[in-house]
Amino acid sequence: MKKTATTGFSRRIFLGAAVTAAGFALSGCGGGNPPAAGGPVELNFVYWGDSNRAKMTDAAIRIFEEKNPGITVKSEYQDSGPYADKLATRFAGGNPPDVLAMANRSLLEYAQRGTLADLKTLPELNLDKVPDTVLSRGEVDGKLYGLATGVTTIGMVVNKAITDQAGVAIPDDKTWSWDDYAKFATEVTQKTGGKVYGAGYDVSTETGPILLARQRGEDFYTEDNKLGVSEDTIREWFQYSVDLRNAGGYPPAGFFEQIGGSAAQSYLAKGTVASQIIPINNFKAYNEAAGGNVVLLRMPGETTEKRRGYSADPTMLWSIAAKSKHPKEAAKLLDFLTNDSDGAAETLTQRGVPINPDVAESITAKLSPGDTAFVNMMAAIQEDELPPAYVYPKGASVVADTLKQLATEVEFGRVTPADAAKTFIEKSNAAINK
Amino acid sequence: MSVLTKQAPGAAATIAAGPPGRRKQGSPRRRNQRSGYLFLLPWFLGMLFTIVPFFASLYLAFTDYNLFTEPNFVGLANFQAMAEDPRLGQSLKVTFIYTFVSVPISLAVALLIALVLNRGLQGLAIYRSVYYLPSLLGGSVAIVMLWRYIFGNEGIINGFLGLFGIAGPAWVTDPNFSLSTLIVLNVWTFGSPMVIFLAGLRQVPTMYYEAASIDGASRWRQFRSITIPLISPIIFFNLIMQLIGSFQTFTQGYVMSGGTGGPADSTLFYNLYLYQKGFTEFEMGYASAMAWLLLMIIAIFTAINFIASKFWVFYDN
Repeated sequence: MKKTATTGFSRRIFLGAAVTAAGFALSGCGGGNPPAAGGPVELNFVYWGDSNRAKMTDAAIRIFEEKNPGITVKSEYQDSGPYADKLATRFAGGNPPDVLAMANRSLLEYAQRGTLADLKTLPELNLDKVPDTVLSRGEVDGKLYGLATGVTTIGMVVNKAITDQAGVAIPDDKTWSWDDYAKFATEVTQKTGGKVYGAGYDVSTETGPILLARQRGEDFYTEDNKLGVSEDTIREWFQYSVDLRNAGGYPPAGFFEQIGGSAAQSYLAKGTVASQIIPINNFKAYNEAAGGNVVLLRMPGETTEKRRGYSADPTMLWSIAAKSKHPKEAAKLLDFLTNDSDGAAETLTQRGVPINPDVAESITAKLSPGDTAFVNMMAAIQEDELPPAYVYPKGASVVADTLKQLATEVEFGRVTPADAAKTFIEKSNAAINK
Repeated sequence: MSVLTKQAPGAAATIAAGPPGRRKQGSPRRRNQRSGYLFLLPWFLGMLFTIVPFFASLYLAFTDYNLFTEPNFVGLANFQAMAEDPRLGQSLKVTFIYTFVSVPISLAVALLIALVLNRGLQGLAIYRSVYYLPSLLGGSVAIVMLWRYIFGNEGIINGFLGLFGIAGPAWVTDPNFSLSTLIVLNVWTFGSPMVIFLAGLRQVPTMYYEAASIDGASRWRQFRSITIPLISPIIFFNLIMQLIGSFQTFTQGYVMSGGTGGPADSTLFYNLYLYQKGFTEFEMGYASAMAWLLLMIIAIFTAINFIASKFWVFYDN
């Protein structure tokens, strides 16, 4: 033994520790166990949303359980982000829920991998009252993989308390153009001395460019499940926000930290922006969060561009797992969610206007003024014939992510709208055609 | 001095050897080995749970596994696709910048604070805990959320800058700053290397410093010629562990960007991209291949470090 001090460490310890730490990089996920059969049927029902949505859904489920003795429903809900992650792992682990909520952009990711049941093969689900235009949004190759939970669309909400105080008149939304909206937004910023920005919509959500593409005579996603939007339209969409920012109507880069969150956390509610684009089934929540003097408007450009951009879109879709052990009972639950007025009396327009017109009719009297405004606008935009819209293709979630990424690059001036549009088309096509 | 040398292994051997005289004990070396394996037992048990996914992922790396349908063998297709994937390049860039900026800084800060604490402050235990605390919390979701607010547009950082009339940038949402914000967060969690440094510093015999002082060596000279060589194995250990840890960063990027790696992929850590590939794009085969590339990268950097260590790490045993 040498008579010197050491710290008691050796090479071997380092090697062991390093290899252990590196090994953790490779551990994946495990599987799940199938539930035991026998006795009354228990359905697993999952969806995303907040506690308010859950409260309304639970009330409807209790009615379903009363009407269907022998079936109990175990429901779970989460925010949309973690929901999507958990859903993927449950399917991968061979333990999918029976009935589930599905985002438009994810439907074919799942369906074209054989994980979802064809709803047309389930006689317990009555589709007689559902319009074809709604069915087509969950259909591919003649098979129905997703059924709209209800329909909604996007709209412009303006905080009238702010515009009144600033003395800015809100243009007529039936005829306003994109230029009118830009002028209006810029004027609000000017007249509030820059305290409030006139426009505060989210450039990176695909529903905006989808509408613009339709107005310009293009289908963002085509009937044969391809990307149909032109590079020019995407460039225009980006350029519009850049011009509006330069004019002062739109906040500077980096202003929005958590756009697209809940109504209560929105910039409209904070009073730092005067207008925002929202899915209009959320109008009531935004109106309440922003002080109750919010008006719901149509999107600009509906009469000034080539054609109407609006479509009645599934708020989200219901699907049944192909591997569900109880497809009959799952179909019964889905039938209840679609066609039962008593259930709808509890959930109201929480997930959009019910797709069965009779059910939609039956709840009108129960709606609050905010929800009535939403339902009326849905009805009004459908009075004219609207161009058809199609199911989102496989790869649509990559398209959405690409748009988000490029919108930020444009926001901070790291790429030009023209280059961003070019990249968008390339990356989106690659994802869809893969 | 010699007590210092063998203190830890000796103590371990006493525990592991059991009641004396029951039967003939092996040589001290054998006994040491046995106790060594005993201490490694938890790791072996844990390994049972990682070994299956470990080899499964090796297999899946050569398939087109998409989570839902049976995997098909595709040879090296995943690795070829990786070579042409611009986002993979971006994720490597983010991870490398993060690692090579934050690891040296956090080690330097850890050593500095450890040196200060080692001078025998009053209430050392309290300081030690206070500085160690961020390490326990730094990887947690709550702290990353807190970080978002501290660095947010209306957060205290920009509030403070505002006092001096400086309009701070959007630390979190500006792609030019978002990664730096996470690097600062990582540096802030210098606590665990600090505690290890502190333990090392306490084992450097004071007689060396006394002898050096008598010979007229300056503090800086003492630090360079006594402290650094004697704790070099610990610096090495911390370096390796920090490198491996930061190559595998996930939580910070995931929480800060809401899972997207944004703004504009500026916080797209390698593991975050791997996760997106596996669980949002359902390309688990590709994600598995990515995991093996990361293992290779970590192995190469660790190997380089081990080779380089021959020239600067001083082992006394």
